[in-house]
Amino acid sequence: MYSLRRWWGQYALKAGMVALLLSLAWGIRQTNAGIFLELYGILSRPFQGTPDQVDILETAQARELQQRVVELESENRRLQELLGYRENTSQEGVVAPVIGRSSDHWWQHLTVAKGSRDGISVGDVVSGTGGLVGRIVQVTPNTSRVLLISDPSSQVGVTISRSRSMGYIRGQSESRVVMEFFDKVPEVQPGDAVSTSSLSQLFPQGLPVGVVESVNLNRSPAPEAVIELTSPISRLEWVIITPNSRMPMPEDVIPDNAPSSNESQ
Amino acid sequence: MTRVMTLSDRLNLGSKQGPRIANWSITVLSVVLCVLMLPTRFPGMELLGVGPNWLLIWVVAWSVKRPAWQGAIAGLVLGLIQDGMTATTPSHAVGLVIAGVLTARIQKQRFLQEDFISIALIVFGMAVLSETITALQFSVHAWINDRDSIQYSLSRIWYYHQRIALSSAILSSMWSPVIYYPLNRWWERIKAVEP
Repeated sequence: MYSLRRWWGQYALKAGMVALLLSLAWGIRQTNAGIFLELYGILSRPFQGTPDQVDILETAQARELQQRVVELESENRRLQELLGYRENTSQEGVVAPVIGRSSDHWWQHLTVAKGSRDGISVGDVVSGTGGLVGRIVQVTPNTSRVLLISDPSSQVGVTISRSRSMGYIRGQSESRVVMEFFDKVPEVQPGDAVSTSSLSQLFPQGLPVGVVESVNLNRSPAPEAVIELTSPISRLEWVIITPNSRMPMPEDVIPDNAPSSNESQ
Repeated sequence: MTRVMTLSDRLNLGSKQGPRIANWSITVLSVVLCVLMLPTRFPGMELLGVGPNWLLIWVVAWSVKRPAWQGAIAGLVLGLIQDGMTATTPSHAVGLVIAGVLTARIQKQRFLQEDFISIALIVFGMAVLSETITALQFSVHAWINDRDSIQYSLSRIWYYHQRIALSSAILSSMWSPVIYYPLNRWWERIKAVEP
């Protein structure tokens, strides 16, 4: 007892300091480092500039429009068959500058300088100049964090716009993603446009994703295709954030559980 | 030494508490700076989309001349902060704690000289080590959980590990003097002032 008291008398300050530090760090971890994100947002404000639509790469825009046309044509044909079915998908987005990348090498994140004050909430859809980029996983008052579709934990239900062959894509930490088909013999060829499908639980239907680069039909267990993302994910400067009409129920979120378990659910 | 004294004088603190408070604020400030550097990718700081691991550099710089338990606590605190910045599973704290302890335990005076090259070497080794520990944690997750629903499959974990570990180690060791040099100078001066 005496020795314990003597130890305490000697090291009380140090022990208190260590406990304080640890609890601070734990607090930061539990709040997803929101305070650092906010600070980062404030510090990077002078470097943000203003959105200039002319800056946007014209080729990427042309490709996006081309894909949208293919998608719309295909959808139109189906709608005509159904007659009377109509869906309202036009929504206004918030343009946000990209101020940071992921803080670790194993995840593919973006930090953007718009947050809950601009009406952004977790689950919102983020698109770049060429198509889908990712979704919001964390929001602070003035910043938010985006999980990119190139992250290995991102799995998105997609469809080939031309033939409606279904499948899902998983990220590869690069500007290319791999699409796995549900069919054994999908109708697909290089150059086909890929967009989000009606089976996607996280994203609304019909957002352009990318273009088929190569196809491997012999792949087991399911045929695979390499998709080149249309938006230049590695050099994004601006993104457009739109509210998500398809917010999943927590138990519906099947594909992404590993790293974002604390963020999305 | 004189500069430290003038700083503490300017802070208008007692002659005993002045350097200590200045030391703490400089230390905390440098951590905040490192955390804020994490999401940035300035030109020359990126290799295959990977940037330097600033927190690891800080932990190594801190632990080099300190006992192992201090290295462990620094690793734990910074690891928890990095968990907050990205995602909590797998934890970064494990790798950083081990890096801190090992750095403190290395018999530098016997094997390595006190200069930039040796610090860069230690950072290189610790970066590889901590990324390997992250990859191991991913592997354990992949092993325990349903293999279809996890982030990485086993083969891809180790494919990414090669790429991430190498680029992170090269970049971190190259940029380590930026953190180590000023911090080390500061702590040396503080040591000379403090009893």
